[in-house]
Amino acid sequence: MKLQHYLGGLEDLGPVSTETRVFVEPWEKRIFGIHAAMMALSSHLDDGEKTSTFHNKWTWADLRTGAESMNPFDYFKYRYYEKWLGGISSFFIDEGYITDEELNELTEKFMTNSEPDFPSKEDNATDARIEQYLIEGDSPRKPIEPSYQFFDGQTVSIKDPPSKGHTRLPGFLRNKTGIIDHVYEGAYGYLTDIEEDGIGPGMPVHCVKFDPKEIWPGNTEDNFYLYADLYEAYIK
Amino acid sequence: MSNQFEYPEDREKRNAAKIKALETLLIQKGIITSNSVDTVLNHFETKKGPFNGAKIVARAWMDAEFKKRLVKDTAKAIAELDDLPEGMTGAESEHVKAVANGDGVHNLIVCTLCSCYPWSVLGLPPYWYKDPTFRSRAAREPRAVLREFGLNVSQEIEIKVWDSSAQIRWFVIPERPEGAENMTEAQLVELVTPESMMGVALPKIA
Repeated sequence: MKLQHYLGGLEDLGPVSTETRVFVEPWEKRIFGIHAAMMALSSHLDDGEKTSTFHNKWTWADLRTGAESMNPFDYFKYRYYEKWLGGISSFFIDEGYITDEELNELTEKFMTNSEPDFPSKEDNATDARIEQYLIEGDSPRKPIEPSYQFFDGQTVSIKDPPSKGHTRLPGFLRNKTGIIDHVYEGAYGYLTDIEEDGIGPGMPVHCVKFDPKEIWPGNTEDNFYLYADLYEAYIK
Repeated sequence: MSNQFEYPEDREKRNAAKIKALETLLIQKGIITSNSVDTVLNHFETKKGPFNGAKIVARAWMDAEFKKRLVKDTAKAIAELDDLPEGMTGAESEHVKAVANGDGVHNLIVCTLCSCYPWSVLGLPPYWYKDPTFRSRAAREPRAVLREFGLNVSQEIEIKVWDSSAQIRWFVIPERPEGAENMTEAQLVELVTPESMMGVALPKIA
């Protein structure tokens, strides 16, 4: 069980943040930009045009898997983009693109000298690829016509697959009962195959309606319903 | 009581130095270019942002038939508008879906597992949306959460909370506020905030 999958419904958290800024420190923009560039340059979207030396697959699934495999108590200690900075730095070190030592050494240098001297390296094909990804996206829809197992209005149960790594099934919905509000047209894959979890290959996705009173009896609000988009692999 | 759990004073300075070091190394190693990060950030300043969603909502307020089409087939309706930038079905907006407030329903969008957000319509998610406290509490006690945002939703209004856990990126079409009957479409655009398109606020006339 991973606490990161079970955020929905936790108690005693205190008031919500109403901070409307996207970035609360100027540096946060840079790590977002790096992540978006990595998604654009991911090997699974390589059209042979880019000249970047990046040769891994990198999608949301990789970033999320990293965040979900953190010590859960650490997960809540760090601010959103601090987790990205730690996770993405670790990825580049683990994959051998950079070393711990050079990152630490250069970080120390910038601790005393605040002006970065970014080496000037231009490469229009790589930046054009980034722009192209942002415009075209990376749709999970697969060009297959699925056979639909479930239908609008049907009462269904939610499975409880092992959550050793990554999942798109919110923990608080496991083993609960809901009603199919609507079935989306077409088949949708996931960014990576998660064998024990069941998602990855193209399959139908359903919007399932849940009564919060059945999820948290005696401990929720009136006149309110919860809807979640769930892959067929999660439904029985 | 003394607090032994404070972060080191140089926390932000160290983060800022580390990101400079990381970006420098990635450029040196040919992974990204010296323009790559700015290419991304410029795209979000000019092509993906809440300025697109505001135009979509204002059009829905002006044209009830458009609003119906927007709820029924969101991407197709958005494609009708000719003053939006390219890439409305681009990254993190490949499959968007609009839900409309009104008729006794108030909608709230959340992503309990991470921070899924319709980039082309709304740009990047604000901090409140990414915060674990909101992601936890919106699923069980949305009325209490909305009160903290200054929004009282009466018991007679049904609240629908949409958890973005698969391919759909949701957004809300709020109701046109009272007093906005005679405003032009350009004036209406100014009333629509990201928070009103996620369901934690209502459009207000200043």
